[in-house]
Amino acid sequence: MKKWIIIWAALFITVLTFGLASAQNEPIIIKVGMPTVLSGPAAPWGQVGMDPYHAWIDLFNKEGFKVGGKTYNFKLITVDDKNTPEGGAAAAKQLIYSDGCKFLAGHWTWNFPSVATVANQAKVILLTRTGNEAVPGGVYDPKKFPYVVFANDSMGQYIADHLAIVEAYPKYKKIGILDCVIGKGPAADITVAALNKAGIRFVQEWFPFGTQDLTPYITRFKEAGCDIVYIAGWVGETMAFAKQRWEMGFKDMKVGHSGPFVSVDMYLAVSGKDAAQGLIGQYWTSWEFKKTKVNPKYIKMCKEVQEIVSKKQGKPFNYTGWVGWLPNHLLILSQAMQKAGTVDDTDAIMKVIRGGTFDTTIGKWTMSGAKTYGSPIVFGCPAALSVIKGDKEVYLSEHPTKPLP
Amino acid sequence: MPPAGIWIDGLIQSCAYMTMAFGMVLVFSILGILNWTHGQFYMLGAFVVYYAITAVGIPFPLGLLAAGVLVAGLSILVKKIIIDHITGDLYVGVATMGLIFFFEGAASMIFGMQDKGLARVLPGVVDLGSFSVSYQKIAVVSFTLVIMIILFIMLNFTRIGLAIRATAQQPDAASLYGVSVERLSLTVMGIGCGLAAMAGGIIAPLYTINPFIGGIPMIMSLLAIVIGGLGSLTGAIVGGLILGFLNSVVAYHLSYLSEVVLFMLVVIILLVRPQGLFGASVK
Amino acid sequence: MMTYIDYKDVVPKAVIGLVVLLILLVPIITTNESTLSILILSGIWAIAVMGFTLVLRTGQFSLGQAAFMAIGGYTSAILTAQMGWSFWPAFLLAGLVSGLAAFLVGMVVLRVGGIYFSIITLSLCEVIRIVAQQWESVTRGARGLITAQPNPIPLGFFEINFFSSTVPYFYLTVCLVAFTALVFWRIGESRLGRSFAGVALNPVLAEHQGMYLMKYRVIAFTVAGVFTGLAGSLYAHFLTVLTPTMLGLWQSIQILIMSIVGGIGSLVGGPIIGSILLYTFGSYLTRLDIYGIQQLLFGAVVVLVLLFLPKGTGLVDLWGRFWTKVIWREKEFEMDEAEE
Repeated sequence: MKKWIIIWAALFITVLTFGLASAQNEPIIIKVGMPTVLSGPAAPWGQVGMDPYHAWIDLFNKEGFKVGGKTYNFKLITVDDKNTPEGGAAAAKQLIYSDGCKFLAGHWTWNFPSVATVANQAKVILLTRTGNEAVPGGVYDPKKFPYVVFANDSMGQYIADHLAIVEAYPKYKKIGILDCVIGKGPAADITVAALNKAGIRFVQEWFPFGTQDLTPYITRFKEAGCDIVYIAGWVGETMAFAKQRWEMGFKDMKVGHSGPFVSVDMYLAVSGKDAAQGLIGQYWTSWEFKKTKVNPKYIKMCKEVQEIVSKKQGKPFNYTGWVGWLPNHLLILSQAMQKAGTVDDTDAIMKVIRGGTFDTTIGKWTMSGAKTYGSPIVFGCPAALSVIKGDKEVYLSEHPTKPLP
Repeated sequence: MPPAGIWIDGLIQSCAYMTMAFGMVLVFSILGILNWTHGQFYMLGAFVVYYAITAVGIPFPLGLLAAGVLVAGLSILVKKIIIDHITGDLYVGVATMGLIFFFEGAASMIFGMQDKGLARVLPGVVDLGSFSVSYQKIAVVSFTLVIMIILFIMLNFTRIGLAIRATAQQPDAASLYGVSVERLSLTVMGIGCGLAAMAGGIIAPLYTINPFIGGIPMIMSLLAIVIGGLGSLTGAIVGGLILGFLNSVVAYHLSYLSEVVLFMLVVIILLVRPQGLFGASVK
Repeated sequence: MMTYIDYKDVVPKAVIGLVVLLILLVPIITTNESTLSILILSGIWAIAVMGFTLVLRTGQFSLGQAAFMAIGGYTSAILTAQMGWSFWPAFLLAGLVSGLAAFLVGMVVLRVGGIYFSIITLSLCEVIRIVAQQWESVTRGARGLITAQPNPIPLGFFEINFFSSTVPYFYLTVCLVAFTALVFWRIGESRLGRSFAGVALNPVLAEHQGMYLMKYRVIAFTVAGVFTGLAGSLYAHFLTVLTPTMLGLWQSIQILIMSIVGGIGSLVGGPIIGSILLYTFGSYLTRLDIYGIQQLLFGAVVVLVLLFLPKGTGLVDLWGRFWTKVIWREKEFEMDEAEE
């Protein structure tokens, strides 16, 4: 009897010691919440980033990062926001109050006000991108939303895209800019002002939400004398536009969209092989930037992620949009935590982020707020463009994103 | 005066709306219900054609036929399992609204949400000087013509057509004369939803295919049959033509304001003629 | 058409009291803002759903109820954000403006019946959304209006502060739902409510008995408009932002589904139960990681409820069945159901 007690006790102690020992080595998890669209028509754009985000975080967590002698890891929790402000607020509240997230990340536009309000009330740091709401004239106000970090300057990138197009095709006649009418707002106004200032010739058109038949707009652009049409992020519409202008016989009209190609095969399948030639998109994955320096460590990491996701999905994964968003958000966040020496005092972390310099996937960025939208922080990927040639995308041109005055 | 390209585009739109609206009005006139899932059958038809061509490898016209038959079968199942067990037009309507979510969710789970395309079906264009027309568009128009002629012959010169017209006018009297209204309504449900699927299949190569493409055609064909007059087959065709051309021509002149013009027109038509253009007067 | 349940007999006052007490205690039981927010939003939708159900009582099937939420929401959002009003007068005016809009629209549109009425309201709903989108000088278009929060109400030793937590919003919503429920319940009990049902059940007979159909339809539509407008105003202020895409056709369909699934037998119980259950269900579905399953399950639940709780008896009837069969065990009630 006594023997058994001793054996049990010995076992118990062993397990306990190992448990405690491993618990001490076990990195502490920091939850980052992401309200994103996972249902409804916009779901593909929420969905396409999920696998690479998780793969990237897994790679990042192998090393983790140290704050005050302890190792920390990130964990991403996603909740569907249904692409509405109501869903965004609900998702943010679930993440903050039910999951206990101290940090939110996300890259939507029209949910921004409701999510930002919830995050600020809870003193939760929100890493997002600039867009329609997040510029003067929109709803953003640095005093109202002190916990918002614009970790990606989509706005500046969108403007720089046009400049990059002009660099690639200096003999253009006129650029047509097409956007959905629900995208109307200050971002469009700022774009127009910036393009006018840069002396670019362009006309702007809007289409109602859900339009698949773009023939009337193609005709309008043609009559206005446009030979390049750039579409603001509506991938399905871009593919339809490219196809329809081809069928109408306007073969010399160039078409592009802001946002990286989701997969070249999709464009070839929807637009047709001939019509898809020369389609312009943003270009990040292969990191063949010519004017921007990229840290080789991150190039390796990103290529590894592309491979992991390709293996997981069983088909080549070419989408590159994910690189600019979450990885940089988390890099900035982890470095800020290290500098502040805390992982849960959001005020201290925000203090470090304002005006701090951080190592990102595309080099060191100083988060100087004075130059940008009245907000403290903007980070920007370059506007690098590619075109579809054959069944591959190749480098076209590049224009570094600079914070606007 | 808009250029020829716009008129051709209007014609293509009209063809899609006409085929959809015709099926919807057929179902309405026999079953007395508005099938809100019609747009989702359009979407499923597009997917059937897509997989028939890419995965199975059968030719396009056969794929269209397969879409019609498969979706007709599905719609008959829907009628047998769900619609027959719910009483009251209102509740059947709401159940079909619930089915919108069900089918969109099921399609997202099974087929994935990313856009798919069929541009390699009938590629190429006919050059007509200042503008050109693609073979696909010609196929849409000729297919719609064929369908309309077949339906015209079926409704006017066959026994089943007679039964459909009789039941639409007087269900009780028709059943006294030996028409099995139950069997007829199954047939009509199949035909109506099969038409939607074939409309989806024929239009699909022109646009993109994803689980959510059914919404706009559904609303448009709903507006078309209401403008035309519920229960009127001629009305569905005229309504489809009006909306199709209006959409293109107004969008050409007024750009994004075309939406508001469209909906205001519907309101005005219904206030002036509450029974629609070709409908019998209603209480 | 179904028979309307007389909940005065089915639900004893003690049970109602218990439920009200439980609801009032919710902020003490849970301080999770997420749960509170789900309850607040389902309360707001419940008001709109009650309005829809009242209009349905007169036999009119409105597919544009979200438009009145939008009118109410935009009224108070414009007044507070653009013209600097404070919340309370803007909130009340939102109800009035929406009611007025419902009255004017109703006078023109309600003479059209059946599905045509549904399509007209659907079109008007879209027109309102597009106008909100295009009329940028007033509504700020797609960039949206940021609504002001209600000012803190000092109560001597204590201050009701709408900025710091959602609890005041919770009680405000509970009050509004209770008030709406009371008004609608009184309407349902009164001669007016019976006239509504009469107008719907047999318009021809009702007209022959000297009832002027339009009068009852317009009254129901206007009352629904007032409360839906108030709900819209609360919605805009609670979410702090209002954009045109927030209240459109899909929201109208959501209202209608909540109403039918909850049960249209009662003007109050069905809408409240339907919106709370469906809204909570929908919120928890957002956590699922399988793409598309949210919509699939939502659709399946709607269809199943319609199949197994037929004729619009809805979820609220589960309670009626439970009460009559398990608690009362009275033969009389079972016979009534069999007859039905």
